[in-house]
Amino acid sequence: MSALSLQGICKDYGEARAVDDITLDFPEGQLTALLGPSGCGKTTLLRMIAGLEVPTAGTVTMGGRDITRLPAHKRKFGMVFQSFALFPHLTVRDNVAYALTIAGTPRAEAAERADKLLDLVQLTGLGDRRIGQLSGGQKQRVAIARALAQEPEVFLLDEPMSALDAKLREEMQVELRLLQQRLGITTIVVTHDQREAMTMADRIIVMSKGRVEQAGPPQEIYHWPASGFVAGFIGRANFMDGVAQDGKIVVCDVALSLPKPARFLNGSAVQLVCRPEGIRLGAAKTAVNGIEGRVTFVRDLGPVSDIYLDTGLGKLVAEQSADQSRGLAVGDTVQLSLPPDALRIYPGPSAAQAPTALAAE
Amino acid sequence: MTVAGHIAPLAETPPALRPVFRWGTVASLLLWAIVLVLCLVPFVLVLVISFGHKVEGAGWEWAFTTENYLRFFVGASWPTETTFLYVTQLYWSMRYAVVASILAVVTALPFTYLMTRQSRRAQAMWLVLMLTTLSLSEVFIVMGWDIILSNNSGLPMLFAASGLTDWLKESGWFDVLREWGLANPRNVKFKTSEVATVLTMSYLVWPYAVILLYPALSRLDPSLAEAARTMGARPWTVARTVILPAVRLPLMGTLLFLFVFLLGVYVAITVFADPSQHTTAVSIYENVRGSTLNAPFGAAQSVILLVTAAVFLLLGQRLSRKSQGPA
Repeated sequence: MSALSLQGICKDYGEARAVDDITLDFPEGQLTALLGPSGCGKTTLLRMIAGLEVPTAGTVTMGGRDITRLPAHKRKFGMVFQSFALFPHLTVRDNVAYALTIAGTPRAEAAERADKLLDLVQLTGLGDRRIGQLSGGQKQRVAIARALAQEPEVFLLDEPMSALDAKLREEMQVELRLLQQRLGITTIVVTHDQREAMTMADRIIVMSKGRVEQAGPPQEIYHWPASGFVAGFIGRANFMDGVAQDGKIVVCDVALSLPKPARFLNGSAVQLVCRPEGIRLGAAKTAVNGIEGRVTFVRDLGPVSDIYLDTGLGKLVAEQSADQSRGLAVGDTVQLSLPPDALRIYPGPSAAQAPTALAAE
Repeated sequence: MTVAGHIAPLAETPPALRPVFRWGTVASLLLWAIVLVLCLVPFVLVLVISFGHKVEGAGWEWAFTTENYLRFFVGASWPTETTFLYVTQLYWSMRYAVVASILAVVTALPFTYLMTRQSRRAQAMWLVLMLTTLSLSEVFIVMGWDIILSNNSGLPMLFAASGLTDWLKESGWFDVLREWGLANPRNVKFKTSEVATVLTMSYLVWPYAVILLYPALSRLDPSLAEAARTMGARPWTVARTVILPAVRLPLMGTLLFLFVFLLGVYVAITVFADPSQHTTAVSIYENVRGSTLNAPFGAAQSVILLVTAAVFLLLGQRLSRKSQGPA
């Protein structure tokens, strides 16, 4: 069952369209990540869900009820802001108890609940501190506890980790995910960090230019990106421009096979994508999609190495385990293969713009 | 002229002390000397004159007498007769200044808050407008309000012509206005009245209120108010529990600044206030330049006005420090 759903949501700022016709369901109890580069409309979408912005078109429903124009204070949606937005004039406890205090909960009861929430986010005993006395990570925990105090129906987080340093960020991602699973609360996280989305989300929604590029589980998005944009945004990828020819793809005079013959007209411009870990290196030339390459750079990252190669297909990067890459040096000639299973094919940039012109050939 | 303007600047940066002779040191010493001469000497003069003795029918002479201060608090004929005329004037000074500064801040706060939520361009336009009105002199502003509120050509005339006066008479509000001193038997009147005085004084300092509140409000993180909204706070609750506490100190500072500024208002009082409700500032002028010509007494009143302002500033500082609590 979906708790929250969006139908045809648009948001215009003057001439500019920030969010363009988005229809989405947010399954109850799941964590959904809105992922995309900055300016893709993900925060605007979250703010419309929170009731802080009114959509230009479309409806937001919660459990079947239309809440599109319901003001933020009448929705029970907890939100964590990028800046945390903690009230500097209140103590940690009073911050967490804010929603309860303004709702008229007796002081003692509100304080007790606030202390329980502080226990939940591992800030036991810090209730009397002032906000200025907290570290970044502690502030974030307070912001989470504060948003959870009103027992929200939906929990919204806008770039919650962006103010934290890298190490703390990874810890908090795991912690937040565990907390969300424990509470079973429908959660939407806005992020531009694909690792963050992969760590926490049940479902990732990749956005670009105000539109949804792809929605699905993290693994599906990683392994079966719906577009070249998604492939480039989630993880790393080698991009090759080619032309379809008799079910194969010709890239720089090399014909590459696919698991199934490509369904493109002969002569259509296409884009091939291969993840660095999909490329195989070896001493002997393979029959399918085998090609020779010269090592131009070895980036040893410890457990894995990135091998930069000059090949007949152009410049490629292959990720190899430490064992596989041992002994490889700049200038070596290696045989590499691009297994058909590892290749993903998308309409080429020019084909996407003018498909009819190329189909004629 | 009021002497309240001659407060020595408090926030002068001390000159850098260097062992070697430098032109920079000379320049800063010179600067100090200028500041001392321009700001401190007039003030010291006023202080000294306030202890001087008035010669009847003539000027005044250097002396050291407390008769001027005594006169301020209990009247000239004390101990035969005690009058509180001058203390009453000080009371009116404070009353007008308190009411007008509160009125200005209370109205400027929501305006400035909404202004900071506008586009950059709109904000700049509003600020320029505010700064422009600051260039108008008190005399000019009072003249404008004088016309608006005058009995024969201003609002009262409009009230009578539009039938509003008749309606007020029928509905019984006219009697209420008469009780408040805002009507004569025939029509409403705003001159002279406390309402007109306070309104004009608030108008006088309103741009200052906006300009002083603007930096604090524009720095306020909009997500603070949004966070409160997502936690169920209605707009008024947001203002009361988030915005007001966040700008408490600048609010207090603005209030004090306007109060001190308004203690010295002269023209608005002479035009709009009833003579029985005139202020110390008016009395100072009368003594220094006007009909009474008693410079020592005028100086004594100036010193008392200055001390009053200082006491309020100190109280304000104490209060804000207290409400701020341990950092």
